[in-house]
Order: sequence, then C-alpha cells, then structure tokens
Amino acid sequence: MVDKVSLKRYFKLLGIYARMDLASLMRDGKFMAIVMAADLVSNLSAVSGIFFLAWKFGGIGGMSRFEILFMLAYGNIVMGFLNMMGGCNALFPSRIIGRGQWEHMFIMPLPYGVQLTVGIFPFTGSGTFISGIALLIVAMCNLKISFAWWWPLLLIFQLAVSMVIVVSLSYLLSSLAFYAPVQCEEISSTVIYSIEQTMTFPLSGMPGYIKYPLLTLFPAGLTAWFPTMILLGKTVVFENIYPAIFALLAAFTAAHFFKKGFRYYVKKGINRYESGGHRS
Amino acid sequence: MNQAAIVPEGAAVIADSVSKTFTQWQRKEGVKGIFRQQKKIVTALNDASFQIKKGEFVAYAGPNGAGKSTTMKLLSGMLSPTEGSISVLGMSPERDRIALMKRIGVLFGNRTELWWDHPVIQSFEWKKVVWNIPDEIYKRNLDRMKELLEIDGVQNTFARELSLGQRMRADLAMMLLHSPELVLLDEPTLGLDVVAKRQMIEFLKKINREDGVTILVTSHDMDDLEEMAQRIMMISKGQLAYDGDFDGLRRLTGNMTNFTVTTDGRRPELEGCRFLGGEHGVFEFEADLSCTSIQRLLEMLSRSDGIRDVEIRRVPIEQVIAGLYQSWKGEKV
Repeated sequence: MVDKVSLKRYFKLLGIYARMDLASLMRDGKFMAIVMAADLVSNLSAVSGIFFLAWKFGGIGGMSRFEILFMLAYGNIVMGFLNMMGGCNALFPSRIIGRGQWEHMFIMPLPYGVQLTVGIFPFTGSGTFISGIALLIVAMCNLKISFAWWWPLLLIFQLAVSMVIVVSLSYLLSSLAFYAPVQCEEISSTVIYSIEQTMTFPLSGMPGYIKYPLLTLFPAGLTAWFPTMILLGKTVVFENIYPAIFALLAAFTAAHFFKKGFRYYVKKGINRYESGGHRS
Repeated sequence: MNQAAIVPEGAAVIADSVSKTFTQWQRKEGVKGIFRQQKKIVTALNDASFQIKKGEFVAYAGPNGAGKSTTMKLLSGMLSPTEGSISVLGMSPERDRIALMKRIGVLFGNRTELWWDHPVIQSFEWKKVVWNIPDEIYKRNLDRMKELLEIDGVQNTFARELSLGQRMRADLAMMLLHSPELVLLDEPTLGLDVVAKRQMIEFLKKINREDGVTILVTSHDMDDLEEMAQRIMMISKGQLAYDGDFDGLRRLTGNMTNFTVTTDGRRPELEGCRFLGGEHGVFEFEADLSCTSIQRLLEMLSRSDGIRDVEIRRVPIEQVIAGLYQSWKGEKV
C-alpha cells in the first residue's frame, strides 16, 4: 500500500534530517560553540535551583537530595528527548498551523504522523537529553538502591508514558489553532514551557489542593515527580498504573480533537495567509 | 465513489460543480464594532466545472480574490470543496493525497519549498529521500535542471541568500525532480525581472512540449500567460467566465485592433475608428474588426492624403482582460 512507510525508509528519513542537523551544527566553529554553550547553561540552570535547595536543606518534602536529582534528571530526559525528536515544530503543532506551514506538509508524499516524527535534531537538540542521562547516572550511583533486572524496562515505560502525556497536552491545546490560528499560534509553547517549569517541583509533602490538580487537571506532576515515586518504589500497585491510564485517555482525547480541528481546517481553510512562507 | 472509475480517458483534472466557501470576520467602525464582530460567508468558488486534458498547458486567470489560489489549493488537496468533486490524475486529492503527491508538483510563487538555512543542493537531496526518488531518475533530472535552469552556480548557496529569480529557479527545479505528470503553478513569475521571467517561460514551454507535462498556471501577467499557454480559463466571482483560446478571448471583446498612422502632419478621418491620441504626424487609433472589416479599414487609409506609414497590431491581451475585468465588476457573472 502506498501510505505505508517501511522501517528501512523511516530510518532513511531520520537519517536525512540528522545529516541536515549535523550540517547546521558544523557550519562554523563559532556557531557550534555558541549552540553548545547555550545548551549547557540552559540545562544547568534548569536543574540547579531546585537541586541547590535540596542540597542546602538535606532534601525536600521527604525526598532525599539524590531522589530530587533523579527527578530532575527524569524531567530532563523527557523534555530533552521530545525536543530532540520534535524538530520542525512537531512538539509545537500550533506553530505549524498558525504559520501556515501545514501547507508544506500537504504536498509531501508521506503520512502526517511520519512527517511529524522524522524531523529530528539529534545534534543541535540533544543537550538536555544527554545532560538528563548523565544526571540520572549520578543520582542512581548515589541512591544506594538495588534495582531489579526489569527496572530499566520500567524506566523506559514510564519515560514513554510521560512523553505521551506531554505530547497529548500539546496536541490537545494546539487543536484550537485550527479555529483561531493567529491567537493560538503559540499555545503549544505555553503548554510545553508551563510543564517544563512545573514538572521539576517535588510534590512530596504538598497539600492535596496543590498536588491533585497537578496530577489531574494540569498533569505536570505525572511527567517527573509521580514517575520518580513509582521508579523509586514509593507508590502502591494501583497508583503505578495511573500515569499509563491517564496517558491513554489523554492521547485518545488529543487525537479526537486534533482530527476534528484538522477536518475543520481543510473544510473551512485557514483564515490567515502568510505572504511568504518558508521551511525553517 | 471511486473517482478513477468515472474519469474520462486522457483527463488530467476534472472539477465537477465545485463550490468553496470561507468565513471571514468583519469588524465595523466605532466602539460598537469592537464588541459586535460578525462572520461573513465568502464564496471563493461557485459551482465551477472544468476539465484539463493530459499534456495541456492551461492558463488560469482572474482578478484579485477571484478564487485562483483557492482552486490551486483544492486541486492539491490543501482544502476540500464545500460541494462538488475533484479528480486529479484519476485520484481524489483529499483521499489519495500521498499517491497523488508523488505524481504532481505544486509551486506557490509567494512561498518556497527550499530549506531556508541549507544550501539548495541539500534541499534537493532531502526531496530525493522524502519523495523516494530512484537514483537514476534523480540524477537525470538534476543534470537536466542544472542545464536548463542554470542552477549550477547557486546549488551550494544557502536558500536565504538567493535572489528572487534564483530562488524561483531553484524551487522550480526542486519541484520537477520527481518527474511530475501535472504541475500546478500559482504566480510563478511573481516579482521576477525580464530575464528571469523569460527563462522561466521558456523552460515551462519546453517541459510541456517535450515531456508532455500538464501545466496549470496562474499569473496576473496576461502577456506571459498568452505566450505560455494554449488555453485560458478565466474566473470571476468564483465562476468560470471564459474557457477557450486567447483569440476567442479577443473576439469576446469585439476583436479590437490598434493601429498607428504616420502622416505628413494631417490627422486622417477614419469612420468607425476611435482616435486614441497622437501628435506631430503620428496618430493612434482603435478599430473593432468585427464591425469594420480590414478591407474597409485599408480602403479608408488608402484614400486619406499624406499617409506615410501604417502599423496594425492586435490589442495587447492585458488591455482585453482589463476591459473584461471592468465589465465584470459591474455585473453579476
């Protein structure tokens, strides 16, 4: 069938985007140094504030210093991986819609799902992901916990669940951009940056009126803190499946509303016409 | 319904009773207007039907806001019709988007498909992978584009650093790398200088003539369209107002002809001809050949005293179309 993309072709597509990203990074030494330095400063500042607080007070809300570091590392891996894989604004679909860039996607002979997932930035966009892995290793080395053989699989599963929640929220809110592309062009960045700001805060010991909204209405707590509790064995079995169920529901809801918005878009047309669009 | 089953042999595009409406926000003046903004329904296409045969080179023209770009977007699957059906190469642009995009090329003059922050050749290589173009076809087409569009000198330049003419040539080359059977061009000569425009026109004529590529092109430059296309479809207020050749379009407005008469200084009196202007022995007239035959015109000229030279030429197509646009403004099509 024409619409199917084989795994070999999928990797070939990933390869061309990776090559283009590498070419961008290697364009000149000064540019490369600026990108790397900016990434380093950004990653350090993202985790240092909370970690210093935890270090100063010997932990936060019942979580030890290195449990806090584990949570921060987990959050970095989630957002770092999504940023690395979500080049070409795949993590920010409202920008694609608002800027009229979907018109570039219409004329490409690839399913939209493939187009949104192959535009990777493995070189210029991997700083957060790599720093997350490094911090996770440091945290695990200092946690003095013996991990079962299946623990790495659980880690990967929880990471995937957290990523599904982040992406679902971004796509759910971005579906509004189909109806109001000008007003909602940056709604996905608001969602993503809000999650990034909130996910690194440890919810242990927080009152219910703060904790529960952050696990349900605006589930930033499900993208780092709650999975950390699961991975460190601080939850009960029933709680362990909650993020996965939430992710499933969020994904279905986002898919439903995004498709509905998309149908509206092709039926009604976008009420914003850019005089000169380009790929970026 | 399976579109492929009802497509006549040799048809590249079939639009059957296609309508497309949009909603537009309207805001009136004053404070009330801020709080009472209204939606207005705009009909971009209204029950339009047409066919384009394989291998045809068709111009698509109309005043601003007539529905040209909307038609291009409908044909390329970027929009779906409110009513009616569209078949492109026997496929539905909505349902068969992926298969169709492998066989058609789309270029909007006001936007580029090139990667802005990469050299032109990088965009070409990207296209090769995304369109899954076999090596030999890619190489053959790339060599041909380099030769015909003279992009050799700019292939390693970053797209953002190209001039408009270079960018358009690179975009055109990229669009043709996968050997499309049908090409949809929306204002491809927009903003190009005379040399770049000539290159573009010659190239399009060549691929239509030699490769049999079906081309549908929109432009506001009617002289360009007349030079390129064999047939012109004109749209006004969402409806097809004319579909035929350029001579037919001239006849529609009365087969007008302009001619210049050079005399010893006296202005000739020519019955049935409109004096447009002139002095110092050079006078410009307009005649409707459907009312005043060419024989009658020559007879009148030969009887006039002091005639030194006569130059007869067709009315520029721009003038014909400007007249049509003006007449459409005042009537419901």
